[in-house]
Amino acid sequence: MRITNTAAPIALLAGGALLLSACSGGTEEVTETESAGASDVCTTSARDDSVVAAQEGAPVTPEVFPEGGGTGKEALEISSTADDEIFYSVGQDEWSGYNGAIPENYDVYTSVVNARTASGFIYYGTDGEVHVDPEFGSVEKIADDPLTVRYTINDAAVWSDGTPLDYDDMVLDWAITTYTGGNLNYADHPECHLFNSVSGSYGEYAPNGPEGEIGGKEFVVTFKEPYADWKLLVGGLGQWYPAHVVAEQIGLSADELTQAILDEDFEVIAEAADFFNTGWANPAPGELPDESLIPVAGPYKFGTWVAGQSITLEANENYWGTPAATQRLTFRFAEPSTHVQALANGDLDVIEPQPTVDTLTQLEGVANASILTGDTLTWEHLDLNHRDGPFAESMELREAFAMCVPRQQIVDNLVKPINPEAVVMNAREVFPFQENYDEVVSESYDGRYDEVDLDGARAKIAESGVATPIDVRIGYVAGNTRRADEVALIKSSCDQAGFNITDVSSATYMDEGGERSLGDYEVSLFAWAGSGQVASGANIYVTDNPQNWNWYSNEDVDAAWKTLESSVDPEVHLEQTKIIEKGLWDDLHGIPLFAHPGLVGADSSIQNVRKTATQNQVVWNAEQWVR
Amino acid sequence: MLRFVLRRVGISLLVMLGASALLFWLVTVSGDALADLRESNAENRQTLMNSRIRTMGLDEPWWSRYLSWLGGVARCFTLDCRLGVTRNGVDVQQLMGNAAVTTLRLVVLATLLAIVVGVAVGILTALRQYSGFDYTVTFLAFLFFSLPVFWAAVLLKEFGAIRFNDWLADPLISPLVTVLLAVVLAFVLQSIVGGGPRRRLTTGGIAFVWIAVSLVVFEETGTFRDPSFGVVPLAIAGAGAAVLTTTLVTGLGHRRVLYAALTTVALVVVGSLALGGVVDDPGHAVVLVGLYALAVVTALVVGWAWGGSSRRQAMAVSAVTATLVCLLVLMSKVAEYWGSYLVLQPRPISTIGASTPGFAGTFWEDFIDKGTQLVLPTILLMLISVASYSRYTRSSMLEVLEQDYVRTARSKGLSERTVVTRHAFRNALIPITTIVAFDFAGLIGGAVITEQVFGWKGMGELFQTGLNQTDPIPVMAFFLVTGSAAILMNLLADIAYASLDPRIRR
Repeated sequence: MRITNTAAPIALLAGGALLLSACSGGTEEVTETESAGASDVCTTSARDDSVVAAQEGAPVTPEVFPEGGGTGKEALEISSTADDEIFYSVGQDEWSGYNGAIPENYDVYTSVVNARTASGFIYYGTDGEVHVDPEFGSVEKIADDPLTVRYTINDAAVWSDGTPLDYDDMVLDWAITTYTGGNLNYADHPECHLFNSVSGSYGEYAPNGPEGEIGGKEFVVTFKEPYADWKLLVGGLGQWYPAHVVAEQIGLSADELTQAILDEDFEVIAEAADFFNTGWANPAPGELPDESLIPVAGPYKFGTWVAGQSITLEANENYWGTPAATQRLTFRFAEPSTHVQALANGDLDVIEPQPTVDTLTQLEGVANASILTGDTLTWEHLDLNHRDGPFAESMELREAFAMCVPRQQIVDNLVKPINPEAVVMNAREVFPFQENYDEVVSESYDGRYDEVDLDGARAKIAESGVATPIDVRIGYVAGNTRRADEVALIKSSCDQAGFNITDVSSATYMDEGGERSLGDYEVSLFAWAGSGQVASGANIYVTDNPQNWNWYSNEDVDAAWKTLESSVDPEVHLEQTKIIEKGLWDDLHGIPLFAHPGLVGADSSIQNVRKTATQNQVVWNAEQWVR
Repeated sequence: MLRFVLRRVGISLLVMLGASALLFWLVTVSGDALADLRESNAENRQTLMNSRIRTMGLDEPWWSRYLSWLGGVARCFTLDCRLGVTRNGVDVQQLMGNAAVTTLRLVVLATLLAIVVGVAVGILTALRQYSGFDYTVTFLAFLFFSLPVFWAAVLLKEFGAIRFNDWLADPLISPLVTVLLAVVLAFVLQSIVGGGPRRRLTTGGIAFVWIAVSLVVFEETGTFRDPSFGVVPLAIAGAGAAVLTTTLVTGLGHRRVLYAALTTVALVVVGSLALGGVVDDPGHAVVLVGLYALAVVTALVVGWAWGGSSRRQAMAVSAVTATLVCLLVLMSKVAEYWGSYLVLQPRPISTIGASTPGFAGTFWEDFIDKGTQLVLPTILLMLISVASYSRYTRSSMLEVLEQDYVRTARSKGLSERTVVTRHAFRNALIPITTIVAFDFAGLIGGAVITEQVFGWKGMGELFQTGLNQTDPIPVMAFFLVTGSAAILMNLLADIAYASLDPRIRR
């Protein structure tokens, strides 16, 4: 997954591609009937008359975005582009294509590259915080209820082919995330799933779309209900799509296309969707579509692509903001284990290798490399089985287990060698390197499981009345040395307290029908990748939600998530997070361990390389890199 | 013969069919194609899963997916193959094309070099059986044979790429290293040449002085960074090649053969000068191949003209000599452009990739760039193949040398050279042919780790990625190519065997 995208959990998208023809209208009688029916359904569900514009003078809590600097991009004086090339590698997988928002192309190898060719209203800072990009435009909340936001695009913003970036592109962006399977408003209407898109949240929460003037630079979005992650909706696909190119391909002007979308002309929309779904496919690996088809609106544009080898981005001379500091940015497709030696030999300039002690040692042996370490937004935890087994039945046993898990020792032995700053994590929804962490922890957790307390654990087990030794199976996906070591440390401590820990790792642990889904464990050891969204945790902790994998249920927690999801006020988010964390600690939903360490190596001649905890990888500010 | 071939092909196709079903099934049950999405907590998880289920047909049973794949393959008979798409919707046929080209580039050179070096070393060790040289080679062969590839690759990158490039930036050789290198090489050389202590001492001494002086001269004149040499050394080296080839094939006694070879050298060298412009910028590799063909034809004509009573030998020797001189010309071009290439790419030996991204140079600079990227993987693949070829050749040669007809040949007064090259060597090659054919088919699919550690996207990578993603389509494409190659090579080996060895003809 990638954090710049957001979408709601959706129902089946079955046969979406096949149904495209149904909606685009045809000569056959059957198709035409269906087409007419589709228009009716899609129209009524798309527009929501209950969403009315905010009253004049409606109350507004101003949205404060963090300043640049800090965790955001530094404001650097870059006035010219150096004629040079910088090499980076995401991994061995091939880049998939210009259109990163169709599910077939949606992977980290593609989105990391495409993100360098894009810009948008918001971006993520190094700790996952949402920043506004002032070079792209501004975001202003003008009413709380209904949530109404005014977006203004920079007047100078243009596509790399010179066409202005404007309201037309914003309407297309909305259409892509509206007439698609991810839009829950259309869950029961597969005939409305015209665009094959990874996300349908924007259309779901803003059914009336962006309102503005065709060809203008300003628009207003009214959301049907307050939604905690509203900032991620506009432009949530990670890149804009050129309305003028799509319109030209179906024989219209951009303004006509926009008008057709606004008028709900489903024949035109289906044609546009048809092009979106297939028109940007690469002719062959190594061959980009014609340059006029793939304009971009960011610091870099697509240069050359050699199948199986690399893709080179060139500085976009029509980018209106701070120019890219280096002319060429090349992503080579190389296996991560080769990266350190490639850095030493100058084949790569910046690397983000597997963060292991071995890699770090290897990296320290490279003469001209500078090393950056830190946390990432992925966190390791022990989930306790709340459906059956000893922990489901007895709170005392859960407490006893939490008392004997040597969390500090795990961090000291297994994480600190890579990231010396690493600490035991005492929360789930905030990370130790984030601003609110101390406040949330101090109100939700009193530190009672900080130290291993074997006597306490024994007392709790006695209290529970369960005969020792108590069998505890810890499950995880086999093949991960660090997790095997974690289990060994837990075993050597908890066995003394009266548990009998067994390591039941298996290659199929996480599979559907595997041990995790069957509940064949007492403790489940894995990591969640933080999503950068405020409300995504609801999927994990709310009763019966799809990712509530350990059958946890607590009414207070459920209620707190509901409040959090439907609020746009950061204060409310913080308060509810405290309630949720406290509930999770009091019930011992599970035990958080640590944030995964991250490791970056860079040739010391390259300036402005900054590590980020997000999954955008260290290239997040590559346009500032310069030798 | 035709019936034999047809029957073999028929049986092989049936085996392929059965194997493809088995492989398809094994891949589908080897894991969970949605595994990576299950652990994700992206909110659009379900969309992604549905999309993948649709692309890969995961809602159908495996045999139904297999049959639709088989249907696509069956269309090959109408020249309209449909080999399916990967889970990302990429047409696997194009992936396979790219992968096959990459793998062939990687494997062909390594195989050819391995055959030449392996057979040569094998024969030398057979001739010097139980000498220090033989024992050393035996030891090294077993060492290389048992090398873990990924580990050897890491060492190769460290010394062959990183440190070599560092050294090349300012190529200095300390006196100690010069002496050590010369001593080692001289020692190896004398043990190959062999003979009595006196002869060994002379060989070693001359080699030592020659190597030490060369190293010092190279260093002083900056040859490591600009090794270009002119036409005179080219002509001298060419003449050496002519003499060597003649010695091995017919002996220097056959003057007509020697003259034919020398004339060929002269013509090729003069030709390369006359066509200097074309050689400097041939535009496309095909032109070079054409020039080479021209040289061989010239050589055949020269051999025919000079040949007289030993016309066949003269033509063969001339053709081989022409090939060697063409290689020398190629080397001289590489040497000539090495300096300007270093300006464009200061660190020539790279650790990953099949070409420097965005490299733009003249034809020869491009040629060098592609070549330098091949150096490390080729060495790695060679080490292993050479080890086995040299062992096979050695034992096969030893066996032949003990045959009665070899003793007869010796006793009727033939020279040792004639006995070895004409009587023993050809027969010793028969089993090697079979092994090479099998090996080549194996290498196409077997370079998986080499490809991976050097960042090449070849057949091995196609297979591995497919398997990791539980995606049978790329695995089956891999299977089609390697399976067909195995059948074809198997067949060729059988035919060659049958026609080379009268004993198994039926």
